[in-house]
Amino acid sequence: MSHKLTDGGHVMHVGTLARVEGEGAMHIELRDGQVTDVQLRIYEPPRFYEAFLRGRSYTEPPDITARICGICPVAYQMSACWAIEDACGVAVPEEIRLMRRLLYCGEWIESHALHVFLLHAPDFLGYDGAIEMAADHPHVVERGLRMKRAGNRLMELVGGRSIHPVNVKVGGFYRMPDLAELRAFRPVLEAALDDALETVGLVAGFDFPDLEQPYEYVSLRPPAGYPIESGSVVASSGAAFEVRDFPGHIEEFHVAHSNALHASLDGGDRGPYVVGPLARYTLNHDRLSPLAQEAAAAAGLGTTCRNPFRSIIVRAVELVEAYHEALRIIDGWSGSAAPSVKVPARAGEGFGASEAPRGVLFHRYVLDDSGLIKDAQIVPPTSQNQPSIEADLRTLVQGWTGLDDHALQHRCEHAIRNYDPCISCATHFLDLTVDRA
Amino acid sequence: MTGPLVVGLGRADRGDDAVGGAVARAVARRVEAAGLPGVLVVEHEDPTALLDLWVGRDPVVVVDAVCSGTPPGTVRRLETGARASRLQEGAWSATGRGGTHAFGLAAAVELARALHRLPARLVVVGIEAVGFEYGAPLSGPVAAAVPAAAEEVVSVLEEVSADVPR
Repeated sequence: MSHKLTDGGHVMHVGTLARVEGEGAMHIELRDGQVTDVQLRIYEPPRFYEAFLRGRSYTEPPDITARICGICPVAYQMSACWAIEDACGVAVPEEIRLMRRLLYCGEWIESHALHVFLLHAPDFLGYDGAIEMAADHPHVVERGLRMKRAGNRLMELVGGRSIHPVNVKVGGFYRMPDLAELRAFRPVLEAALDDALETVGLVAGFDFPDLEQPYEYVSLRPPAGYPIESGSVVASSGAAFEVRDFPGHIEEFHVAHSNALHASLDGGDRGPYVVGPLARYTLNHDRLSPLAQEAAAAAGLGTTCRNPFRSIIVRAVELVEAYHEALRIIDGWSGSAAPSVKVPARAGEGFGASEAPRGVLFHRYVLDDSGLIKDAQIVPPTSQNQPSIEADLRTLVQGWTGLDDHALQHRCEHAIRNYDPCISCATHFLDLTVDRA
Repeated sequence: MTGPLVVGLGRADRGDDAVGGAVARAVARRVEAAGLPGVLVVEHEDPTALLDLWVGRDPVVVVDAVCSGTPPGTVRRLETGARASRLQEGAWSATGRGGTHAFGLAAAVELARALHRLPARLVVVGIEAVGFEYGAPLSGPVAAAVPAAAEEVVSVLEEVSADVPR
């Protein structure tokens, strides 16, 4: 919806953003052809998870926080487990880390396949949505559904079910999947890996608007491999710190127009920062498997990628990596590992982070000596990306002021979907208003 | 697998969205008591899973909370399979343009129709909802409508059962 103001300005307000996860709106003000204000308004109500975790047992956050999101519950479970194990002074064995990584591959596959095929591809191919796209490109949509199904099944295999897995506990898992079950699943992953390689080629052929992000990129970086379930924090400025130091570097703050807290890095002096696929790729290209590196190079990606519209190619490359990594873990699995280790309660503060499909997710818990939670902090990726989403829109809308409101809304939503924002997670999402001069 | 499928759609912790599961459980008890053959009854949260759930099944009955402007607890039945016409956008739950959370039943049905993956007969039983608050129980009118909605589902199954030898 758009209307003129009595002061000669022009406002555009999009009441509900489409094909994003959750509920939000966008407000744009133009004065004399200049963009004077852009606000991403996340109006999905605050959910107060951090408050109602207080007083709960230290064993509960993996199951409670998983309920924050139906798309990335594993991210919440993993970050919560790391943080609580950190508070209790327990380091889990390598086999448990690997099984967490395998479960996490399932979530990346589910989330990225959904976003690439059903949410983002229609923008590039000129359709209102996946249903309209399916009529003309049924094989593309079928491939997307097939690839997503492989992720769902992997989640079921390791996590017990495909949404809100029930097999995760502090200290590990209730049950390890059988070696025979894992090996029997190989053909599904192999077929999906072929689909993913074809997908990289498909999305590389889309038309991409020019936009080069100057922002700082932040991701995890583990001792070996591409960042998924764990790692320490690295940034494109060269900054690097341990996960336990994130409260000293990342500050959350409230803005009046959003129910989701915004976040700044190191006081915000270097401007907004970005988490998610572009940051992971740019900071960890060397950590991709040779197969994924080869696919990225064939798709025309360099060792860094700073065009947010090309995030769809990076997600496709990360799909290759996720299937490949899942196969690697299964092939190396001996089947003899204990499902969990004991994590005795103790008083302390613990920190955990993992790479949700849309970026780094931090958790912090303070426990008393009986293991009751005294304080909890959850910093989700979409919250961290809000300032950069608004900054992208400020730059892009300036070049789109000649468009009518309908076209402008469509372009803006496309630009927001570059981030695959998860508004449910951040509310702690989108309508568009444009105010034109 | 062949035979009838009943899917109760919705989330247990989102107020009246839980009605699909409540009706499915009531139907499961009726199916067992009546000894209806070959009927699979499931609960599910994710509408995108329907495309896989209903492969080879016919007829399929999906039960979901709806917002259509009728009085709370109103039970509606709609034929929307491959032999029926397209769903009106907005006639049932949101159609998928609202995001992945809102990739609702209508979006799943129309995506399946575009991909020629709809069961020949698909019956949607909708119960008019009041609210979808986190943690809220079923509202009074919706809870009271569960038996009537289950009866509507069972009537579809009995039509099929009458056509096949016990």
